[in-house]
Amino acid sequence: MSVPSEHGRPADLDAPLLARIADGDQAALGELYDRFSRPLLAAVHRILNDQREAEDIVHDAFVAVWQKAADYDPTRGSAFSWVMTLTRNRALDRVRSRKRRSELLAQSAPADLGYDQTPPDVVQAADLGERGAAVRKAFGELPAEQRQAIELAYFSGLTQQEISERLRQPLGTVKARIRRGLLKLRDLVAPPAP
Amino acid sequence: MIDERTEELAALHAFDLVEGPELADFSRRLEREPALRRIVDDLRETASACAFVAPAVTPSAGLRDRVLATCATTPRTGPASQRSESDAHGGGGGDNVTPFSLPAWTGWAAAAVFALLAAYLGFTASRLDYQLALLTESEALAALQARSLDTALESERIVSKEQTLRLKTAEQRVAALDTELAQTRSAALAQIAELKAQADLAALKIATLNSLLGNAPDATAVAVWNPFSQEGVLTVSQLPALAPDKDYQLWVVDPQYSIPVDGGVFTVDAATGEARFQFKADKPVDTIAKFAVSLERKGGVPKAEGPMVLISP
Repeated sequence: MSVPSEHGRPADLDAPLLARIADGDQAALGELYDRFSRPLLAAVHRILNDQREAEDIVHDAFVAVWQKAADYDPTRGSAFSWVMTLTRNRALDRVRSRKRRSELLAQSAPADLGYDQTPPDVVQAADLGERGAAVRKAFGELPAEQRQAIELAYFSGLTQQEISERLRQPLGTVKARIRRGLLKLRDLVAPPAP
Repeated sequence: MIDERTEELAALHAFDLVEGPELADFSRRLEREPALRRIVDDLRETASACAFVAPAVTPSAGLRDRVLATCATTPRTGPASQRSESDAHGGGGGDNVTPFSLPAWTGWAAAAVFALLAAYLGFTASRLDYQLALLTESEALAALQARSLDTALESERIVSKEQTLRLKTAEQRVAALDTELAQTRSAALAQIAELKAQADLAALKIATLNSLLGNAPDATAVAVWNPFSQEGVLTVSQLPALAPDKDYQLWVVDPQYSIPVDGGVFTVDAATGEARFQFKADKPVDTIAKFAVSLERKGGVPKAEGPMVLISP
């Protein structure tokens, strides 16, 4: 179901949904919610470690999607990436504005240093489910130190220096782990060449 | 191909980890370099996939309705709104636009809008309450942090005061120890001197010299010799008065030498025949076997020539 597009990525089946939303189609927004809400909520919950706040952020993110769908540029990335970035930014802003980062990290510490292999217990869109499984499998193949660095980079809202201090590794080492890990992850989850 | 440093920046940028001047520089590069922009977009796409790593969470049952209710009453701006309005007027978005209305539906539609509006307002009020609670919590946290800082500052002040006090006490103790050490050293030196004096005293050679003179049988002398300082004192009494061209001469007999060692000449009081004579041997003396006094010509001689007048046993 992935068809390569002009910019080298598989055709994004969700991009048309955003186009319809940009046209004011509420039904399309409902469809997009059904497809994205679970991974978005999971990621935000992972960042905030609070169900009520996570749902608040997801709610605000979908309202933002409703208002800004016309700004989405399909040549820059997938619809999921666009919506996820928009949502994550809100979650990280919440983390910083509450000045409770250290508390939240302490609360979520047990999962910080390990890849959670628990399979989703809910049914979600089949293609996203496959994508999620592929990402989790690829993530599990990364060296542990690269997984740690990437998890902190994506979910913690910490700065480079703070990640370095948290992992007790030199800053240069942390940067290198993030780069290598992300490149390897990209290669592992990339769709096969057409 | 891009260099490793740029690739690293691209990866960090994908996680929004580039900040400050570095971010400004990198953003300018992204505007100028489409190829770099594509790499960053590609990496951000991968970074976004990290969301799938998070453990699954099930949304609340009402979240979907809340989202849709809010969006139904949220005005949109920009190109999307204009396009939507244009489509509605032109009939392009026919699927979700009702082209006509019936009087019987108007009431239902108004009721539905009213219900959605009420739900939205209720939800908004709930959110505002929640945000207010968050702000209150933040304020309480800030106050708590301020109190903690005050406490920490006070603790540091107390610790600093205690440390100053300890330092002063330590300095006083060091001064007292210095004094004590000086006293101990002084006492030790005195004790050493005393021990040395005792040792010297123990090593003193004391001898009594008896008369060999028929005309002065009661003449006596006592010689005391300190082997460490190689000095001695001879005290004589009742020796006959000397003729003007004569001297008494003291001799120290040390077995290591073939002849007695010259101890110097002395005279006696003509009336009492007494003298106290401090002497030194002419050569280094190890062992004293005897002391002797002879009558010699004035000024003394290197080897005894005259008669012996006193000798120790």
